[in-house]
Amino acid sequence: MVSPGASGAFGDRQSTESRLIGLRAISLVLFVFLAVAFWVLQVLQYAEHRERAERNHTRTLPLLAPRGVLFDRHGEVLVQSRRSFRIAIVREQAPDVLASIRRLAAITHADEAHMLAILQRRKSDPIFRPIAVIEHATDAQVAAVVAQQLELPEVVVEQVPTRTYPEGGLAAHLFGYVGEVQPSQLLRAEFAGLSQGAIVGQAGVEQVYNTLLMGTDGNRFVNVDSRGREVEELQRQEPVDGQRVQLTIDADMQRALEEAFRADGYNGAAAFIDPATGEVLALTSLPAYDPNDFAAGISSSVWQALNADPLRPLGNRLIQGLYMPGSTFKIVMAIAALEEGIITPDSVIGCRGSGVFYGRSFKCWNTKGHGAMTLRHALEQSCNVFFYTLGERMNIDTINKWAAKLGLVGKTGIDLPQENASFMPSTEWAARTRSDGRWYPGETISVAIGQGAVTVSPMAMAMMMATVGNGGTLQTPHLVKAVDRGQGKGWEPVPPPNPRSTFVMAPDHLAAVREGLWMAVNTPMGTATRRGKIDGKDVSGKTGTAQVISNDNKAAAKAAARAAGRNPAVFDDHGWFVFFAPRDKPEVAGVVFTEHSEHGYLSAPIAKHVMETYFAKKEGRPLPVYQSPAAPVKSVVGPVIAGAPAQGGGR
Amino acid sequence: MERRLWQHLDWPLLLAVMALTCVGLATIYSVTWNLATGAPGSEFWRQAYAVPVGLVALIACVLVDYRTLAQRSPFFYVAMILALVAVMVFGVEAKGSRRWMSLGVGSLQPSEFARLALALILAMVYGDARRGARSMGELMVGALVLAPAFILIFLQPDLGTASMLLPVYFGIAYVAGLRMRWVVGAVVVAAMLSPVVWAYGLQDYQKDRVRTFLDPYKDEKGKGYQQIQARVTVGSGGMLGKGFKQGTQGAYRFLPEGHNDFVFAVLAEEQGFVGVITVLGLYLFVIWRSLEAARLARDRVGAFLVVGLVSWFLCQVVYNITMQAGLVPVKGLTLPLMSYGGSSLVATLAGFGLILNVRMRRFTN
Repeated sequence: MVSPGASGAFGDRQSTESRLIGLRAISLVLFVFLAVAFWVLQVLQYAEHRERAERNHTRTLPLLAPRGVLFDRHGEVLVQSRRSFRIAIVREQAPDVLASIRRLAAITHADEAHMLAILQRRKSDPIFRPIAVIEHATDAQVAAVVAQQLELPEVVVEQVPTRTYPEGGLAAHLFGYVGEVQPSQLLRAEFAGLSQGAIVGQAGVEQVYNTLLMGTDGNRFVNVDSRGREVEELQRQEPVDGQRVQLTIDADMQRALEEAFRADGYNGAAAFIDPATGEVLALTSLPAYDPNDFAAGISSSVWQALNADPLRPLGNRLIQGLYMPGSTFKIVMAIAALEEGIITPDSVIGCRGSGVFYGRSFKCWNTKGHGAMTLRHALEQSCNVFFYTLGERMNIDTINKWAAKLGLVGKTGIDLPQENASFMPSTEWAARTRSDGRWYPGETISVAIGQGAVTVSPMAMAMMMATVGNGGTLQTPHLVKAVDRGQGKGWEPVPPPNPRSTFVMAPDHLAAVREGLWMAVNTPMGTATRRGKIDGKDVSGKTGTAQVISNDNKAAAKAAARAAGRNPAVFDDHGWFVFFAPRDKPEVAGVVFTEHSEHGYLSAPIAKHVMETYFAKKEGRPLPVYQSPAAPVKSVVGPVIAGAPAQGGGR
Repeated sequence: MERRLWQHLDWPLLLAVMALTCVGLATIYSVTWNLATGAPGSEFWRQAYAVPVGLVALIACVLVDYRTLAQRSPFFYVAMILALVAVMVFGVEAKGSRRWMSLGVGSLQPSEFARLALALILAMVYGDARRGARSMGELMVGALVLAPAFILIFLQPDLGTASMLLPVYFGIAYVAGLRMRWVVGAVVVAAMLSPVVWAYGLQDYQKDRVRTFLDPYKDEKGKGYQQIQARVTVGSGGMLGKGFKQGTQGAYRFLPEGHNDFVFAVLAEEQGFVGVITVLGLYLFVIWRSLEAARLARDRVGAFLVVGLVSWFLCQVVYNITMQAGLVPVKGLTLPLMSYGGSSLVATLAGFGLILNVRMRRFTN
């Protein structure tokens, strides 16, 4: 290529040409080196660099699925999801996260320490993922952030679906609440695939049916530029809404129930059941909380207050509270004695105001004595001696067997979390747990009127009445009637759970018990003092009181409390009223349990109001308005369960 | 001009130069493409307007005999020095340095033209001498010519552009007969002095740059960012590239200056290794073809003029492309012919006008 003396006409051509060759050689070497360098980068290290470039510009942003709407049994919307705003920070975009938070706190008046705590908790999240520091931002906060968007590019406003519950905490313990999934929960199979910060049901129906209600979050795959701004959307995976769930609850009965409780000023629990199916028509536990507080990301002060409240509003008394059944247990004794053949409906037992059993005197509440009476009148007037006598004639294990058939042993199986098991003693239990291993027959006499070692949940009592109401089938209470799985399929009925057990009560036995219960509510002699009576509806029921402290110690304890400046009402008895209606073909059965009301009959007006609502709605009449019989405000603090067995208790 | 001269114009070289200019333009089009407006950025249009201006400059440099230009070179040189002084006084300051003169319709960067004047005057100085630059004294003459331009540009401050005047000088000195043992000696001395220079000669920020280069991942988000992202940009192109307007690294600004200093990385990203080899081939062709012009030159002035220009071209192209691969510290040096920058393009095309000029007139007296 370079030939000496080709052309040109200057001296030193030879030397110049050799140096030009040198320059060519140098340039060739350099370019070969460059070609090799690019080969290494683009061919050998291609995969690594491509992945890095992908990570640079692609982002997966969640599209949160709204939770499924909850309906009542007639299609009224109870709980829904609305859109709300939250303010999040993208740490990747923040040169100084602390400074950004300080600035954000200044413009939104939000709690800086709280936001820093959230960041600390989520610090292992990917750096590009927005972390919500202000949930449910107010319009003013959103406006403040939008106005400062140029100075705070790392702060983003996101739209998120949020749970909305009925106002005033209606049916709080039924719905439960939602909250961020806990780190320990993420390990469970049901929460597989969720990431930190996901909202899941943490109590009530929200928890039990979380899988149905939660839906599936979608995703947006977007390209972002180096400042994290979205350039284009590449792909979109729409979120799938949570499934719509129809509850067995009747919204009007639910409202009537809680209105009546509040008008009377009681705390307590109640449940209304369709005895034929076990569907729950209304249930409550008071005091309660407002699930909306949780939906908005509960503040630590509200959470602490709920936890510290001695009335324990977070506990569900209906399924977690265990109380002595008192005189309501006489229904179990009546059925057990009839079905075991100990008595007939017409057997007569006399009451002289007290009786001696196993060498010890047991009092009737009516110390003058009820005289000779059959089962009907014993139930009507709640005669203790009649049922002491039945207790003397049956052993504890027989009573236990019938209590179990009527649902007073173990859990009811309702689809709510953390139910406590109702308890009935037995000789097996005594042998297992007592130092002398013995059950004393005298204890059976106390159990016969629902005192002593027997403790039941209000829900179990409701199921007992439903079982008496349907003639022997112990249904499993449940809350879900139908589910709409989406895709236009409409409502699919959810098959009810199987009954826990079934027995067929002899018709004359059933009639006798029902009549006794009818008389308790409808006659002047009845213990419910006609407070539960509804004309033409044949409400049948039984009152009872659950002692907080034994009658022998009550006066002393109240005096001590008064002296110490505390409310002596904490030692007042709880009042039971269990019921069904109409007597001969019950459509509704249940329990109303009022704390520290002293008398079971004071629970009856609440039950009556809810049942009147039921019948009015069924017959197309205007819904009744509750007339509170009295206003004895009894929102007092006290032990939920008293331990001391006693005698001579109530009606 | 005589028809005979046009027959001797090196059309393949001109075509290769124009091809590189067009590839650069297309890459700028792609990387500045705005998805929202569906149009290329303003940088593309400004670069597109510079092309005809550059062609006019190229033709002007072809038309006048290079020997005439070389004889007038002291005049050009003084004019260039005055322009650099004027920039120091009246120039527009941007990003901490004063490099541009505002001209109403656009701005001019006089330092880009300094190498043309320097190549012309050095070609005249060494070409007219009877012997080559073999003595230290003769070498010093060239260094004295270089010094004012170097210092003025260095003070802008623009160390990169100033440094790129050195190849012009050394290239010419080399072909003019610089003794090889001086070259070897200089390298040895430089190697021995480097610890001293490191300790006393460099500012802290300059040391930081070297440290960052050696370990860019130490400051991945800060000083090492460009170097790392340049490698990612190039590497993610793979064999065939992501396609025209399909790049992400440059277009979304993960790699800044994708239209400017890092235009080659964007080309590598979008056109892949195949595109890289094609463009490297074009650059190598341009360099070899230009050196051929030096070999064929009628006189030493012509040969030296070409060598001065090619030496600069070679050094800046190689440094810039090596920088794309993350193998040398990031320095604000553009890629001749392809990077955004009107003054640079016009000056570079004018330089190729001179090279074409030398070859075209190899038979004339």
